[in-house]
Amino acid sequence: MDNLIWQRVSPWSLVYFVVHFAFRFVKDGVFNLLPIMVVFVTQVEDKLFWGQVTVAVAIVGLLVYSFAYHINFRFCITDEHEILLNKGVFKKERLTLNFLRVQNVNITEPFYFKPLGLVNCIFDAAGSTSQEAVLPGVTTQYAEQMRERVLAYKETQQQTEAKQQLEATHSNEPQQCLVLSNKEVAKFGLMSNMAILALAALAPFMNAMLEFLETAVINRLESFYQQEMGTLVDAAALAVFSILVLVVLVAVLLSVLMSLIRFYNFQLYFQAGKFKRIAGLLERHQLSVSLDKVQSLLIKQNLIARLLKRYTVQCLQATGGGFSAGAKSKQSLVMPVLTLEQVKQVYQWVHPWLNLTGVDFKALNFKGAEKALLIKNLCFYALLPSALIAVMGYAGEGYSPVYSLLCVVLLSLLVYLSYRRYGYYFYHYQGRYYAVFRSGMISAHYRVFELYKAQSTCAVSTYFMRKSGLKSLSIQLAAGTVTMPYIKAEQADEIIDFILCQAESEQRSWM
Amino acid sequence: MFENHQLDVLPQHQQIVYKPLANKALLHAQLNWLLFYLPLTAILGAVCFFNQEFAALAQTSLLIGLPIILVISLVYNVVSIRLKGIAMREHDIAYRKGVIWQQVTILPFSRVQHTEIHRGPLERKLGLASLRLYSAGGMSADLNISGLNHDDCKNIRQFIQKYTEARQTVNSIDKENSDDVLATDESANG
Repeated sequence: MDNLIWQRVSPWSLVYFVVHFAFRFVKDGVFNLLPIMVVFVTQVEDKLFWGQVTVAVAIVGLLVYSFAYHINFRFCITDEHEILLNKGVFKKERLTLNFLRVQNVNITEPFYFKPLGLVNCIFDAAGSTSQEAVLPGVTTQYAEQMRERVLAYKETQQQTEAKQQLEATHSNEPQQCLVLSNKEVAKFGLMSNMAILALAALAPFMNAMLEFLETAVINRLESFYQQEMGTLVDAAALAVFSILVLVVLVAVLLSVLMSLIRFYNFQLYFQAGKFKRIAGLLERHQLSVSLDKVQSLLIKQNLIARLLKRYTVQCLQATGGGFSAGAKSKQSLVMPVLTLEQVKQVYQWVHPWLNLTGVDFKALNFKGAEKALLIKNLCFYALLPSALIAVMGYAGEGYSPVYSLLCVVLLSLLVYLSYRRYGYYFYHYQGRYYAVFRSGMISAHYRVFELYKAQSTCAVSTYFMRKSGLKSLSIQLAAGTVTMPYIKAEQADEIIDFILCQAESEQRSWM
Repeated sequence: MFENHQLDVLPQHQQIVYKPLANKALLHAQLNWLLFYLPLTAILGAVCFFNQEFAALAQTSLLIGLPIILVISLVYNVVSIRLKGIAMREHDIAYRKGVIWQQVTILPFSRVQHTEIHRGPLERKLGLASLRLYSAGGMSADLNISGLNHDDCKNIRQFIQKYTEARQTVNSIDKENSDDVLATDESANG
């Protein structure tokens, strides 16, 4: 262990550390600091002065910490094919990562390294972000060389994979490619609900903001409207309305901006069972995902996406738990906006059978849930809340039966839509068994997975369900759970038996 | 269930005969419940004793309500424990539970990521243990079976460990043999 040659990263990587820690502080720390910020906004008198002091202290602290981190950061590539990392300021850490455990070597090029020709070299380890090793600010050649070294070592060690790789190159499969224009990517901003998240983060400051708005903007707008339109309309209401429109517009703009940052110049390649995706504005992030590792394919279309005739496709990988279930994680491959044609193209790579069956997965012959689900949901989610509203309204003043009628109609409609969406479909193709599960209300979700990837199965039934021979089915996958409520008991049993049989007899590894 | 494929006869999970939990499981459930319930009653009683206003307001409803809740929960526990059952098959483990929502979970041994045996002070006194089996993607334990004999627990865990080890060795041998087959298969699908 004495003859290890410890290397430092280039001084330029200091920039990476500063950005990295600033980003992490914003991401992890801001929510913890929210109470303090609320106190600051509401209580502190000389906001400008103390604000400047705080920001200055934070920046100096960040710089000092990053510098100390840079000093302590050393790495070493041993002969035993391991990457050793020494890092940490207050808590020293030694990370040991064997080449064999490296899933992939990702190379990212942040915008601040572009003029220097430097890149970040990221060694991805089996799914967990805390275990990945990052070498910041190394030259492109070095990163490429590292990648080759790791992959070459892995190939010699894993004979099976090497052979497969060889086979793939021999068959000389053409590389498939999918490119999204930035105009398309911007549409994802409209479709995703990131804007709502941004608004939620602002909630604690709403009071202060509204006060400010009232004094600064609304009053002026009000007088403006009064001048222009006279007293025809309520000027104050109009002013508030325009502010609301403005807020929504800003939110949408923000959302578009965020999706552009994430998916700028989106390029997706597929070759020999492997996806490679390159995207990002500030940081070109390269992600490769092997098709074997994809646990299930999620095809989503929400209301706005439906109007735009676009789909979002996600390749979900195994997660270590946690409630986000990998949907937002770095490891899951997201194809943000695809037209139906492009979705079909992706199918052609991943699940060729989907195209064989019926051109459009909407045309698949889904089997739905039983009527009992509709009746139960109508009772519990439409009639019961409406009755409650009626009772409460009766006790209060100014109650009109129209409200509860409206409530019943609206809720019943939603319940009906969600009931109609539930569906499942099984298909057998070249000795492999696949399932598609559909759910949603206004939006539609399709989960496509190979049956043997199931982790466990669960059947639930109440007394009344057993009386009418029904069961709810849920299948746990390594990337979230798939449920199908209220289907015929014998059908559910058959599905469970078959899935278990697949999971237990299939020799291929699910991971 | 498949439009394009006729299924062969499968082993049917409806025919599983479930084994009830350990004899002392019911005692454990009742004691566990009482350990929560009695202190709660004591606190409410103390509040009534010291705070006359509160007593005047809530005494009668508490005097009627609390015993009813106690009896119902004790009966519920009996039914709940009676309905619980566990069964081991050749390749998987099944667990049935639930009074209102009856639930049957089946977890193949090959999908078990890790196992845990949990014993609280009460369980240690009674010679019981809880078995927790985790698979990938779940938020918490996929199977959390409490009220098993400690020895049974250890046996199940050992069985699962042996199963996974055996499967791994079989897999590695199989892999070497079927490499060529696999490769052609892959290319046909890629």
